Amino acid sequence: MINIRAAFVSLLGAALLAACGGSEPYIPGSGSPSGAPTTKGSFTALVTFGDSLSDLGAYAPATSLTGNGAAPYFGGKFTTNVDGNLGKVWVENLATTMGLLVTPAEVGFAGSSVKCPAKLANAALAGTCTAYGQGGSRVTDINGIGRTGGALTVPMVTQVANHLAAFGSFKDSDLVLVWGGNNDIFTQFSIFSAAATTIQTDAATGKITADQANKLLFDAQTAAQSAAKAAALELAALVKTQILAKGAKYVAVFNLPDSSSTPFGSTLPATARPVLSTLVDTFNLWLREGVTGLPVQWVDQNTAGKDVYANPAKYGLVNNSVPACDAAKILAITSGAVTDGSSLFCNATPGVPYNGLRAGADIDTWQFADGVHPTPGGHKVISNFVTTQLRAFGWL
Amino acid sequence: MHKTIRTLTLLSTATLLAGGALAQAQTFKFGAIHYQPDAKTSGLTGLGVPAGADVTVNSATTALFAYEREIAPNMGLELVLGLPPTIKAKASGTAPFLGEVLSAKNVAPTLLLNYHFGEASSQLRPYLGVGVNYTRFTGATSPYGWQVSLSDSWGLAAQAGVNVSLGKQWGLFASIGAAQVKTDLVAVGASVLRSSIDLRPVVYTAGVAYKF
Repeated sequence: MINIRAAFVSLLGAALLAACGGSEPYIPGSGSPSGAPTTKGSFTALVTFGDSLSDLGAYAPATSLTGNGAAPYFGGKFTTNVDGNLGKVWVENLATTMGLLVTPAEVGFAGSSVKCPAKLANAALAGTCTAYGQGGSRVTDINGIGRTGGALTVPMVTQVANHLAAFGSFKDSDLVLVWGGNNDIFTQFSIFSAAATTIQTDAATGKITADQANKLLFDAQTAAQSAAKAAALELAALVKTQILAKGAKYVAVFNLPDSSSTPFGSTLPATARPVLSTLVDTFNLWLREGVTGLPVQWVDQNTAGKDVYANPAKYGLVNNSVPACDAAKILAITSGAVTDGSSLFCNATPGVPYNGLRAGADIDTWQFADGVHPTPGGHKVISNFVTTQLRAFGWL
Repeated sequence: MHKTIRTLTLLSTATLLAGGALAQAQTFKFGAIHYQPDAKTSGLTGLGVPAGADVTVNSATTALFAYEREIAPNMGLELVLGLPPTIKAKASGTAPFLGEVLSAKNVAPTLLLNYHFGEASSQLRPYLGVGVNYTRFTGATSPYGWQVSLSDSWGLAAQAGVNVSLGKQWGLFASIGAAQVKTDLVAVGASVLRSSIDLRPVVYTAGVAYKF
């Protein structure tokens, strides 16, 4: 009997102990960053890592008017470019607000590039080359979008390494903004789309059943989500080990906007569009999880962007569905080389022969320059939001 | 709530084990137990899961072991244990094509206070019991490679049964019972899937009893 009693005691004891320790399961992505500074910064540099959204003209040589890579350039930024650098992107607007100058960290195309071109022109500007974002760049994978066509697509991990190589470390006076991963999403989305096309064809021709097709689509989507998760965690690790651990104090991490809420997104089939959105959300969830507990601030571009897309008038926008750049004009200006109407090659200077603007478009009140990139008007909305956030953090 | 139930359980356990010097009847029961969940869920949600996806939980049968101690002429405290059965969940709703999404073993000790009708000498003695059920899910796995966590559950339990005496010591028993078993499911893979599951199990047991 004693043995049996002992067994009961231990069984129930174990059950009760387990109950005490057995709280609700942990939900990844439900935490927050913590411990970022709350005091105003004395900023001397705006350091941005990312992709085309923060690109200050890395590929300008591809838009050389003389065609030899030399200035003058008719494009260079992923927006409607205006001669005299008047088509501004959000990084430039923010720098102006902060009273700082910021220039591209690297400029080049098709295998040749120059680091910190501003320094070559004027040695005093060496400290301004802190805009690392490049069109097509991914988090860690050098094979960014457009790389086969000549784009540098220096991945964010290398962007950060380049900054450390140039400056040794981050400074208390650096405002570091990290906003990337969009191209990892687009890369995964196109892999998914190709797989989905095959699956749907097989289902339509009776090779596989509808259930089998649904399962294969789920698996293909899961594979894309896994890759998005991996990229997000890599970005969070980069923030932790190469930015924070290398001295950065004022660091803000931006999540990704919903790429499906763009002119490009609206061209997608109804079955594919939510997948793009899901990939973005998956990336954002894991990025959030990755920076949970880190002393950074979180800038929710996704929520902000959704509000802009749903209520354009509130932000002074009148058109968020048609790109301001005319793909046919860009095709002609580039002698047939650029077929997708990329705003990199879009110039909006009135009266110039290389103007690629769509008839009737307004670069201040139309949100998008091409399928996914904002006009200067769209960028203004972004910089206004970022500025508001930075002020709310007490940093500006 | 939990604290109250725990206290209750501790008290009951103490009573169960306190066993005075008086010869109070003790019964060991062996048999089979069949869990028949009638699960209600909040749906299966998460990034990448089709809207309207759900899970259904299958039934399971396992070996039963119970110990009952008489604490008053018609009252007994019964601890019901089972060899933990494997509970499987299949996707349903809009996503039946996903098939089985997870399996887990549930360890579910139940402590019941039974009231036995009739005389100790009666051949047929119906009984009613109320008590508490604790359910813990262990060894959760998913064919999708998800890391599955399920919260523990404390809830009320009740049963109705009958003992058939086959002599001084041996007998047969059968019962039908129900328990409150609710759990929160979190499955972490490429995304994070969640569901709240109210298992609402109906539990059938039958077997032999040995009294001494």
